[in-house]
Amino acid sequence: MGSINSGENITTIKLPLTRSSDWRISLPGKLNKVNSEGVLVDCQDWQLGCTELKQLRSYIEQAGLKLISIRSNIPETIVSAAALGHQSTLVLQKSVLVENSSPKSEEAKSNDSPKLLFHEGTLRSGEHLSAEGDVLLLGDVNPGATISAGGNVMIWGRLRGTAQAGKLGDKKAKIIALELRPVQLRIANAIARGPEEKPAQGLTEEALLESGKIIIQPARVNPFMFDRT
Amino acid sequence: METNTRIILICSGKGGVGKTTLTANLGIALARQGVCTAVLDADFGLRNLDLLLGLENRIVYTAQEVLEETCRLDQALVKHKQEPNLSLMPAGNPRMLDWLKPKDMQRIVDMLSEKFDYVLIDCPAGVEDGFRNAVAASKEAIVVTNPEVSAVRDADRVIGLLNTHGVKPVQLVLNRVRPKMIASQEMLSVDDVTDILALPLLGLVIEDEQVIVSTNRGEPLTLTGGNSPAARCYSNIARRLQGEEIPLIDPSKQGSGVRDKLKRLMQTKIF
Ligand SMILES: Nc1ncnc2c1ncn2[C@@H]1O[C@H](COP(=O)(O)OP(=O)(O)OP(=O)(O)O)[C@@H](O)[C@H]1O
Ligand SMILES: [Mg+2]
Repeated sequence: MGSINSGENITTIKLPLTRSSDWRISLPGKLNKVNSEGVLVDCQDWQLGCTELKQLRSYIEQAGLKLISIRSNIPETIVSAAALGHQSTLVLQKSVLVENSSPKSEEAKSNDSPKLLFHEGTLRSGEHLSAEGDVLLLGDVNPGATISAGGNVMIWGRLRGTAQAGKLGDKKAKIIALELRPVQLRIANAIARGPEEKPAQGLTEEALLESGKIIIQPARVNPFMFDRT
Repeated sequence: METNTRIILICSGKGGVGKTTLTANLGIALARQGVCTAVLDADFGLRNLDLLLGLENRIVYTAQEVLEETCRLDQALVKHKQEPNLSLMPAGNPRMLDWLKPKDMQRIVDMLSEKFDYVLIDCPAGVEDGFRNAVAASKEAIVVTNPEVSAVRDADRVIGLLNTHGVKPVQLVLNRVRPKMIASQEMLSVDDVTDILALPLLGLVIEDEQVIVSTNRGEPLTLTGGNSPAARCYSNIARRLQGEEIPLIDPSKQGSGVRDKLKRLMQTKIF
């Protein structure tokens, strides 16, 4: 599952926002200052296709570095990154448009209303979708694909790959799918293999943590409503 | 340059599932149905489309010389003796892989589009450069897979990549189907596969030892218009590709007993 967080050997580089300057101009200079082996590139609001991402990658390789992971708040960029086989994270940033607000007020803002990442389309083998808050997927998660969220994972479709909820430790996070047949489930620090037997048809199920173990049960009447306490 | 030529990539992700066999048989079948068709061998590393078509000894120039402009397109094209509607554009030297770029593939395909109604591209296995070069030049795709978990997994990955490259439509061919094994649930069923891949099913190809015999002879099954089960599968795929509506029959859902199913399989003109 190509997990990254080896931590110390990775430097994060942020591309400038689209309207401030072209990333191709500022990137080489930034790369020269990096003294780790790997870099994580936050592409911010750049919509990059495979060709442009390859260009980005060759800049990085020319500097003798390795591209470890891509972040962006543009889904297209993330999809291209996944297509090129890179670990990628979609960041839903509510404050993108508020440029001059201080970091503090930004934090306050994102805390009082939970973020929801909405994605339409099936995740196929080798693709990853990751959200900081909750994630709602309209489509299936196929075997070999991964979906993860800081909060809840909601799948309006079939879960047959790997899902992780509460990846930063939220033990109240849940995983819900119209059909729950995952390879593996993770909630906070708990890991469980998917059930062997096929679930009953047409039964929405949810996975949650109960005294440290992941259990699967039929979802409540309206599975896509969460009470956040 | 925009033409109405259908440029179809035949790909799979996993190796050895039957891409080249499908390309050769589909090429012949389309040609027999009167369609002017080119098959392009994009598997520069392990070229063998020429072999399957029995054209190996007639190759003079390849895509490499065309790109280097040391020969004209029609000098490199190898016309099939029995089916003159079909021509092969042979792959060049494996060392081409070192310099070949998507735009080179695009150039070759553009040239072929001016002369042919169909261009079938035999894609190499994997999702690396060879695949990317071929995808860049393709408009639509046929994903070939086998009823096996690993082949389906790889096909799924390839479909995701085709989607991000805007290739469409993408259709599915399920090759090496063994009704007996499906019936006894030793193999993924047609439904299992389409359920995951969620693609329109262009056709099934039955496991048939005649495929191997014909491969070794360099005479694709569809060439003789023969009646072996796989030959029928291939020509039905060619006809569906042209928009004819030929119903698909899932062999494992016919009749009740295994024997019944097999018998039907032999008789039926469909699937
Ligand atoms: N329907 C079938 N029944 C029996 N044998 C088959 C069938 N289809 C393909 N084969 C056999 O499977 C083998 C692999 O086929 P083929 O070379 O077409 O695969 P490929 O996908 O092109 O492989 P590669 O990835 O190496 O290019 C060949 O020996 C071929 O004869
Ligand atoms: Mg082949």
